[in-house]
Amino acid sequence: MKTMEKRLLLLLFLVPAMLRSQGFQVNLQGQKQQAMGSAGTALVQDAAILFYNPGGASFLKKSEINAGFTPIFARGKFVDANTNASARTNSPMGTPFSLYGAFGFKKVEKLKLGLAVYTPFGSTVQWEDGWTGRFALTRLELKAIFVQPTVSYKITDKIGIGAGFVYSTGSVNLQKDIPVLGNDGNYGHAELAGSAAGFGYNAGIYFQPTEKLSFGLTYRSQVDMKVDDGEATFTVPDALNANFPDGKFSAALPLPQIASFGVAYKFSDKFNMAFDFNYAGWKAYDTLAFDYEKNTTSLLDTKSARSYKNTYAFRLGGKYMVTKDFTAMAGISFNTTPVKDGYVTPETPDADRITYTAGVSYKIGEHISLDASFLFVSLKRKDKNLETNLDGTFKTNVCAPGIGFNYKF
Amino acid sequence: MKLKFALVISTAVAFTSCKPKLDADTPEKGNMDPTRFVSLGGSTTAGFADGALYAEGQENSIGNILATQFQLVGGGSFLQPLMPSSSVGIGFTGKSKSILGYKTDCTGTTSLSPIPFNAAGGDLAALGTSVYTSPFNNMGVPGVKANELVFPGYGNSANGAGNYNPFFARMASNPTTSSVLSDAMATNPTFFSLYAGEQDILNYAISGGGAATITPVNGAAGVGFDGSITTAVTTLTSNGAKGVIGNIPDVTLYPFFNTIPYNGLKLDAATAQLLTNALGQQGMSFAAGNNAFVIQDNSLPLGARQIKPGEYILLSIPLDSVKCNKMGSLIPIPEKYILTLEEVANIKSATNSYNAVISQVAATYGLALADVNTFLKSVKTGVVFNGIGLNANFVSGGTFSLDGIHLNPIGNAMVSNVFIKAINQTFGSTIPQVDATKYRGVKFP
Repeated sequence: MKTMEKRLLLLLFLVPAMLRSQGFQVNLQGQKQQAMGSAGTALVQDAAILFYNPGGASFLKKSEINAGFTPIFARGKFVDANTNASARTNSPMGTPFSLYGAFGFKKVEKLKLGLAVYTPFGSTVQWEDGWTGRFALTRLELKAIFVQPTVSYKITDKIGIGAGFVYSTGSVNLQKDIPVLGNDGNYGHAELAGSAAGFGYNAGIYFQPTEKLSFGLTYRSQVDMKVDDGEATFTVPDALNANFPDGKFSAALPLPQIASFGVAYKFSDKFNMAFDFNYAGWKAYDTLAFDYEKNTTSLLDTKSARSYKNTYAFRLGGKYMVTKDFTAMAGISFNTTPVKDGYVTPETPDADRITYTAGVSYKIGEHISLDASFLFVSLKRKDKNLETNLDGTFKTNVCAPGIGFNYKF
Repeated sequence: MKLKFALVISTAVAFTSCKPKLDADTPEKGNMDPTRFVSLGGSTTAGFADGALYAEGQENSIGNILATQFQLVGGGSFLQPLMPSSSVGIGFTGKSKSILGYKTDCTGTTSLSPIPFNAAGGDLAALGTSVYTSPFNNMGVPGVKANELVFPGYGNSANGAGNYNPFFARMASNPTTSSVLSDAMATNPTFFSLYAGEQDILNYAISGGGAATITPVNGAAGVGFDGSITTAVTTLTSNGAKGVIGNIPDVTLYPFFNTIPYNGLKLDAATAQLLTNALGQQGMSFAAGNNAFVIQDNSLPLGARQIKPGEYILLSIPLDSVKCNKMGSLIPIPEKYILTLEEVANIKSATNSYNAVISQVAATYGLALADVNTFLKSVKTGVVFNGIGLNANFVSGGTFSLDGIHLNPIGNAMVSNVFIKAINQTFGSTIPQVDATKYRGVKFP
């Protein structure tokens, strides 16, 4: 039976076409999980389980603090299909971080309380000056920080449940040129900036039927990031100032609901594998609407179709304990893109993607360990946008080396 | 240790691969030869814009844009009869180029309007100075009609108005003997573009269907459109050159004919009643709100009627007379500012006939056919290039320059792309289209 079980699981782990979902989502949570292809719903490794599966936090043996930082170096290029005009991004380094604390109590051993602070979404895309798509976008900065207080309870030796409340705060800054030209030879420019906030929750169940096998099931609710009091600033030739009045605007960006199912198996004392499947409700991102407080014939409220579709992802990771203190990890994942043909924009030139990850974990002492991970993904997408007619190929390479720190007490 | 080493190596490899490699395919010339390119045609080909010929317009002419793209597949240099870069430009009636500025009308209202760049007039000195040194590649001549391309001595002022063009005189190898076509042939072209015939209709249209006639469709070279075009193409292809020919847009879609609405006569109830009392016996009626203007019509006994939908008021109309001196109501708008339904029909009919000739010639001589007519029709309803919306509205539409007839640099870029697409399709080349976002529309103060 044991061998049969192993074989079935191996088969499951080796399903070749592995998928996964993105949009403007940054899947960088916990160095160990990152290193394992972001598979972590069914594998309790450290306090990052608060993000991956709040139900699993109750299976942490001690109190833990885990901090991680993963600079993202994303470099993009666009080549216009009709004119061969090309442009690169000069995007600044992305700085996602995560901080997880899970705390146990001697009197109620089955309970863990946790606090997670992390950046699940966000990026800055900055295109080269004067690029051919500048009337679609010159810069987009999205930031979101989630604060998630969490309760996790071990119902039996085999089952844990948990739930967290999510408060999110963030900001958006979108800039593009306006095709009105001044005598100085400069085009107009629009900057839409505002802060956004939203609420949500997550919940999960962790089930460990045997010592070697575990399952996880989680759900994260949709979080609507609403900008109510944004500032729209327009720089245009003097003669057109009345047509483009500065003023307030409102907009909303949905961060999708996500359901995940995971399996993990301990093949030996040294070798574990984890597998996640997740499904994200990107369909909620149907329209990017800007509602301006002051409208003119030149400045109407805009509704740009985004028409995202739901996405799914397969994530697979393994870890191998090389020595008592040193563990190596690797993973791979496949995401489908939420962006349909005809809707690819310079904001998120997204594509179906395969992500490769690797990492190491070093135990420095009884309480402390250090983690490092590396992620690489390359995206390529040819499309003609239905709204702007921007027609060409986007290619983006993302390198994200991360470091993390664990303290158990 | 081996594992750590491998990780370090793979990390380094991953870092260097973080800069994406993505390159366009190398452009190919297919079976066209861009070595020596000559561009023939009228004002649009010359780069005439904002009511004048001036250097910036010439640098953004369709011929120069095409030549720049041809250079990506081995094209040679493209010599143009450039105006001095500091020149204020020179138009058909001696004015300088127009710019967008502020103008105060008879009611005291100041608003954005095209104004002369130089109130004192255009650069007559530059127009009177020959710039010929060697054969020009841009043989676009402002105001040239198709049946004038073949006319020898077209630069000879002794030939008198209609047979003489000062814009040609300044660039002709020999103003008294050469024709636009003979000077074009002096470049020994391997490839040519021909975009002529617009002026043959335009002269009639901008005179309100009055002073000028439309060049007849049929007739010998120098007289009719078909004979002239056929002669031009026969000559241009005589040494084996290939080429592209553009068809003629329906000029009635230009802003020059569409900026003043036919029903732009705004009246209050009292004035409407007064006008109805005065003009009612001529079959005219007026109500509060928008009304059709009153225009001159000499076919009627009393010589006036209200303009009908589908008839056009020209941008050349003196607007202060309309605003302050009752032109369009008690004083009919003179015929020279109006295109009637019959005149519009003449224009459309000639356009269709010319384009049938052009299609026929293109097929016979194996030329690429640039369907400028269909493209500019799509501009009328609006097109989007990489996020820039363009349409045929005056000033705000971006496509047309401040004279309401000739294209802006971005309009030229868009039309050049129609030519490039046709060339690529016909000759199997992969010449890149031009990035129209690099070409300007109207400049605002």
